[in-house]
Amino acid sequence: MAAALAPISFPHPGRRALRRRLADFLGWGLCGLAFLLLGSATVWILVVIFLRGMSALHLNLLTQVTQGTAGGLLNAIEGTLVLALGGILLALPPGLATGIYLAEYDRGRLASIIRFLADVLVGVPSIVVGYFVYVAMVIAFGWGFSMAAGSVALAIIGLPYICRTSEMAIRQVPRSLRDAAFALGASDARVTFTISLPIALPGITTGILLALAIGVGETAPLIYTADWSNYLWTGHLTKEPIGYLTYVIYAFITQPFESAHALAYAAALLVTLFVLIIGVISRMLLVRSSRAL
Amino acid sequence: MPNATRNPPETGGGIDFGAALPGASGNETAAGRERIAVRNLNFYYGSHQVLFEVQETVHEHEILALIGPSGCGKSTFLRCLNRMNDTIPGSRLEGEVALDGRNIYGPGVDVIALRRRVGMIFQRSNPFPFTIAANVAYGLKVNGLARRRSEFEAVIERSLRAAGLWDEVKDRLDKPALSLSGGQQQRLCIARALAVEPEILLMDEPASALDPITTTRIEELAIELKARYSIVIVTHNLQQAARISDRTSFFLMGRVVETDATRKLFTNPSRQETEDYITGRFG
Repeated sequence: MAAALAPISFPHPGRRALRRRLADFLGWGLCGLAFLLLGSATVWILVVIFLRGMSALHLNLLTQVTQGTAGGLLNAIEGTLVLALGGILLALPPGLATGIYLAEYDRGRLASIIRFLADVLVGVPSIVVGYFVYVAMVIAFGWGFSMAAGSVALAIIGLPYICRTSEMAIRQVPRSLRDAAFALGASDARVTFTISLPIALPGITTGILLALAIGVGETAPLIYTADWSNYLWTGHLTKEPIGYLTYVIYAFITQPFESAHALAYAAALLVTLFVLIIGVISRMLLVRSSRAL
Repeated sequence: MPNATRNPPETGGGIDFGAALPGASGNETAAGRERIAVRNLNFYYGSHQVLFEVQETVHEHEILALIGPSGCGKSTFLRCLNRMNDTIPGSRLEGEVALDGRNIYGPGVDVIALRRRVGMIFQRSNPFPFTIAANVAYGLKVNGLARRRSEFEAVIERSLRAAGLWDEVKDRLDKPALSLSGGQQQRLCIARALAVEPEILLMDEPASALDPITTTRIEELAIELKARYSIVIVTHNLQQAARISDRTSFFLMGRVVETDATRKLFTNPSRQETEDYITGRFG
């Protein structure tokens, strides 16, 4: 042992050291440049949205419904929340159940098939999902443009995120805790519901919030399924078009009216704020959960 | 490790029996009736066989220590005794493990009831990230052993007392279990296992991650618990086996080389491999 601890001789700094320093400098320089490019684009987007959105922000936006290309955004805000929450409600039971199954019950081929399908679903363009729901539900089922059709579209888009994040979160529950529960006489289901799920809850919630953020930000699938409405939602699941914020951004920014542009920027600001807040909450949840274990 | 400080093999083991803890039974086979009888146990992970024709018995009120080098199958064997290996995909078992004469791998055996009777303490303390009280109460809830609040409280206090932890935690039962120190966490895990009143306790190197003082506490605890339970303990620490166990089994490459009264096995082993191991020739 002692022989191995003989002092290590350091060669004099020479050309190798110079090259190392140069590589170091270049590496850091390129990273910094990349960061600057990305960061400035993000900051630019945020600044534009905040400046133009803030100046358009009135209390009226939150109290009035849209009138043509003017008025408020109450109907759109309500519609966005209703659609996104509806989508989560539909996607959560199958998504969570699949996540539990993948994480705890199946170790065979079926699991890898399901995982593959979930990954494919993530890759399907959302407009394709929208078109599918349009053909199947809006037309074939006769639902018409509606909250139900829009929620189904958002549910399909959110499903793989909920499924995979639930699986990951449950997988991260230490094996030793599950073993401890088994050793105390707990059944598989008992361990899932009393150990895995409670401990994985922050991670699962993160997946739900992610799906929520995606739902709030979606446009294309809703154009095919929810259409648009100037009025508040009356609670009908089918045959009642419903408004949402991203429509305002998409449709109003191309209108030749100042009032329409103001609404579009205000809607963009609201969507951005919503997504940012969801992002911050899920970050906090993740940090807290990683501290707990 | 230098080999020079070891006793030469002719003089028997290098284990100091002067350090035996008070209460240790003097390592004689003074045990009661037979509780567990293992016959011709073979165990496989996939096509890889880890246990070969293992024969073993566990008696009432005894501590049986399982020693042997890493990977010799002693932990796997321990986990066969409460069917914890069931949860490992691709594992397979042949032979018989009888608890009070009934094969626990036979048809119609309630694994859940079995695990309640045969409790387990793991190498690394693994309290649930719940409160101290909820940890102890978990097994009661799962098995429906208590209903009223007063019943829970009584069992929680009794179990924590039995694990020697009550005085340290009685004022903070609603605090997170993870706020306890490492040794306290391991004693909490023992309390949690005791709460469901098992008849046999399996301990998988319960003190290997703990400091010497806490290790002593766990060892004293094991000796106290022997009065009410049978204990099978896996340990890497030969001194520990010598200090607390009544009988010791030496595992080597998936086989039981010999099982004997601890004092006999450490001073006058019948087999050359055992002597080589306990005198530090390998392992």
